[in-house]
Amino acid sequence: MSKLVVRSLLLVSAVALVVTAAAFARSTSKADDPHSGDITYWYWAESDAPGANAWMKAAIARYQKLYPKVHIKLVPQATDTLIGAFRTAAQTRSGPDIATQWATLPTLTPAWIGASVAISDYVPKSELAHWIGTAENQSFGKVWAMPIYLLGVPFVWNKALFKQAGLNPNAPPATWAQLLTACAKLKAKGITPIGMGNKDGYTGAWFFSLVGKQNLNSIDELKQAMLGKQDFAQPKFSGFYTAFADLKKRGCFNDDIASLDLNQGWQLFPQGKAAMAWTTDGNALAWEKTLGAAKIGVGHTPVWGHGKLAHTYDTTQSSDAFITSWAKNKEAAAAFLVWLHTPANLLSWYKATGVFPADTRFSPSNIKDPIAKQLFKLDTTGPAVWPENFLPPQVDGNADLPAGEMITSGSGTPKQAVDLWLRVIKQWKQQHPDEYAKYAKWASG
Amino acid sequence: MGERVEPAARALPAEGRRRRRRRPVWPYVFALPTVAAIGLVFGYPLVMVVRDSFYAGSANFLVYVGTANYRNVVADPVFVTSLKNNLKLLATVPVMTVLALAIALFLNSRIRGWRAYRAIVFFPYILPATAIGLAFSYLLQRNGTLNTLLRDVGLGGIAPDWLGSAHVVMFSIGGVIVWQQLGFGVVVFTAALLSLPPEVSEAARIDGARWWQLQRHVLIPQIRRTIEFFVVIEAITVLSWVFNYVYVLTQAGPGFASSVLEYYIWNNGFQNGSIGVASTVAVILLGMASILIAVFFRLRGRQVQA
Amino acid sequence: MRTRVAAAVSRQAFLLLVCVGSLYPIWFMVSTALKHNQDYVLDPTGFPSHATFHNVWVALHDLPVPHWLLNSVIVTVSSVAIATLIAMLGAYAIVFGEFVGRELLLKVNVVLMVIPPVVLLVPMFVLMVDAGWINSLRSVIVFYCGLLIPFSVFFLVNFFRTVPGELVEAAVVDGASPFRVLRLIVTPLSAAAIFTLMVVNAIYVWNELLIALVFLQDENKRTLMAGLTLFQGRYNTNQPLILAGAFVSILPVILLYLSGQRFFVRGLTAGIGK
Repeated sequence: MSKLVVRSLLLVSAVALVVTAAAFARSTSKADDPHSGDITYWYWAESDAPGANAWMKAAIARYQKLYPKVHIKLVPQATDTLIGAFRTAAQTRSGPDIATQWATLPTLTPAWIGASVAISDYVPKSELAHWIGTAENQSFGKVWAMPIYLLGVPFVWNKALFKQAGLNPNAPPATWAQLLTACAKLKAKGITPIGMGNKDGYTGAWFFSLVGKQNLNSIDELKQAMLGKQDFAQPKFSGFYTAFADLKKRGCFNDDIASLDLNQGWQLFPQGKAAMAWTTDGNALAWEKTLGAAKIGVGHTPVWGHGKLAHTYDTTQSSDAFITSWAKNKEAAAAFLVWLHTPANLLSWYKATGVFPADTRFSPSNIKDPIAKQLFKLDTTGPAVWPENFLPPQVDGNADLPAGEMITSGSGTPKQAVDLWLRVIKQWKQQHPDEYAKYAKWASG
Repeated sequence: MGERVEPAARALPAEGRRRRRRRPVWPYVFALPTVAAIGLVFGYPLVMVVRDSFYAGSANFLVYVGTANYRNVVADPVFVTSLKNNLKLLATVPVMTVLALAIALFLNSRIRGWRAYRAIVFFPYILPATAIGLAFSYLLQRNGTLNTLLRDVGLGGIAPDWLGSAHVVMFSIGGVIVWQQLGFGVVVFTAALLSLPPEVSEAARIDGARWWQLQRHVLIPQIRRTIEFFVVIEAITVLSWVFNYVYVLTQAGPGFASSVLEYYIWNNGFQNGSIGVASTVAVILLGMASILIAVFFRLRGRQVQA
Repeated sequence: MRTRVAAAVSRQAFLLLVCVGSLYPIWFMVSTALKHNQDYVLDPTGFPSHATFHNVWVALHDLPVPHWLLNSVIVTVSSVAIATLIAMLGAYAIVFGEFVGRELLLKVNVVLMVIPPVVLLVPMFVLMVDAGWINSLRSVIVFYCGLLIPFSVFFLVNFFRTVPGELVEAAVVDGASPFRVLRLIVTPLSAAAIFTLMVVNAIYVWNELLIALVFLQDENKRTLMAGLTLFQGRYNTNQPLILAGAFVSILPVILLYLSGQRFFVRGLTAGIGK
């Protein structure tokens, strides 16, 4: 071989060696170091737990003090674009290192297309064992996201207004008939019975989760309905729309329910303008501060159905945290997330938001407020399931939300609402066969 | 001109003459950025959107489905509602045309301070629909400002849920659109009226024509071309430039009752990730817009000849 | 005579009514923005009893609103500047140059003026995803540029045609390059028209929502209009604050309008009015 060729080969090999060494050197010193790196965290929780954003900012500041080589950027997300923005990020494989989605389907659908990594691959089993609610994000033998808090959705009532209407303030409606009676009595006294907002469709969606599940015996039935293997038009799935329409017809809702968003509708109860509502633990405690502990009662949703799920409560981790597959330093992201579950942080989270941490290491003795105690008991006693978690996002956004809007705006019958569901379920299967296949596999396994 | 050039050309050697008569290059260079830009932003997407309409699935998992998308879209009640709503909005065009014409004619009738009126009426047109939509979404709440005012004057009976009732929602959105587009019409019509020769109107006035007769038989016919243009432009606008209003005022609610074609495309393309469906409706919308574009072209052609 | 006066009076009354209708929603926006939330809840329709700029201040400082403002400015200035330059070159070539496809290019631009951007949205999005430009201002700048060019070319062609041909020819004979002619002769003569064009284009880009919503989903990269919709969701129980944000977004447009009012009229009636 000519001298030139030899020299070139040597040069190339030398360069290759240096580059490889450098690459390895970087990866061993940076990527495996769980306490250094830049992390972007797309975060959502404020709507569930007022005070969450401020708490997370403070927690990040504390963490960065502990580990100065870590830099975390917090980017709070909006409710309306939570799913859409992450879908775009997943397509571009860029954006957050840690992301938030609602539990089960919104978290698993990106996982199924490889946009996230299983948190159980980065966290020891002993740690996972302390977390409450990991089953909500389980798929194909792995846990895909970390729960942060436990959210209950209590039924709340205003004891003073109940008294005014001649109702027993300490005996909230337990059956549907009792709810309708309470409605009538409150209306007779000119009090708005239930104060909610459904312009954005969330009250209708909640109604599906709170009441719609009550004729089912197992959430697996709902999964089969999503796959089209059981007919969603059956009364056990969709009969609740009749109850929803009935409440609207009887004037049990505020007259502008179709004109207010969920958060706007939630202003009625704490202002004493409505006697009943559904809300989250965090908001219920905030309302307690406004109304006073003596005036507010919290409890189960009235029983409407006859299935086993009629006696389940409504708790979910709601939003979670997971590591994206393109995160540069996954160990660092995992380390930060696990740190959020240290007892000191669990306690400070509780103190800041009043929402219960999803961790067995949080001691209930920390809960002093009597309403909070009741909420904790509700959240941790007995089985609980939040059916909305099991809807593919397309079905949730295009059927669950608009169908309820049709009812509260008076522009659709229950049958039309159900027809919308059936169409969207079919469209989802036809337009996203890959997601459908994964869902089917997950539902059976 | 020829005399000046020819001697010079003849004086040159044959080669130089050939070089001089070849077409210059600079226009191609100047036109290239334009061609490149519209090729990228219009040409490429128009081709792709047709191609994508034959596929289902999301961006990273496309499945060929032939014409299935077209069949399914046409059978989707939400699509039909969206299409109907765009057509309903066409009803705003005569309303804004008549109103704008009336205002322009009044301004043209030697009203004092007509420039100020015109400036005020035109003002809403330039404002961002997003910001305006936010203001209107509060004004039009069931217990919002407009209904409060109506109730105060005793008209509470006709105070509907402007944005929350499916029966009224398109009417409300149409109202907001008219409110914004009106100013454009006023400006266009006043400009046209100002450019008319005054002798015709003077002659009619001397002949004893009343104000209304003057408008109807003299002025309006003379600006007929302008009116036609405005109608076509606004028709295209309500067909394909109303996303902002729907997104901010109602998010296509309640229950998709106020969905329009643009919203349908956006929702399916970017909320559901169904590229195929979005492309299919885009093609359909393009087809509809093309009809109006052809009309627009026809009118312009006629105008050039006139 | 009396009917004449009555008719004139009723015309004035009608015009006044129209003006009130045109201005009321803006007055509502401003007056609400100047109220505290508590005052607004108690009295949504009246004058602000304790007018305050607090909400406007909060809206301007509440991250990421300043980012949104900056992004809108960058996007507007860049896309309008680039589109105007490209259109000037193209229009000059169409009017003063000879080349294959000259008439076709003009006709194509006229047709493209009325193509709905939503039709182009999905393929452009996929293109930007592949280029890695999603959530980067480059993506919207490129798209807006392309969208502005057809109308700009059409508009400038109309105005360049009013430039006296002899001036251009004289300069060419003197040996000036086309670029020099454009820069030193045609542009100064069309300065008002070019300015009008830029203002009209700037307002279009500033007000645009759909494209910005799709291409810039990262919170910090949004433009002001797209960001406002997020702002609304976040504070939707504090309407004065939201309308303060809306008010901030319309201020630049109002200033542009007040500064160049007559240009507007001229600009919009070009090619349509006559």
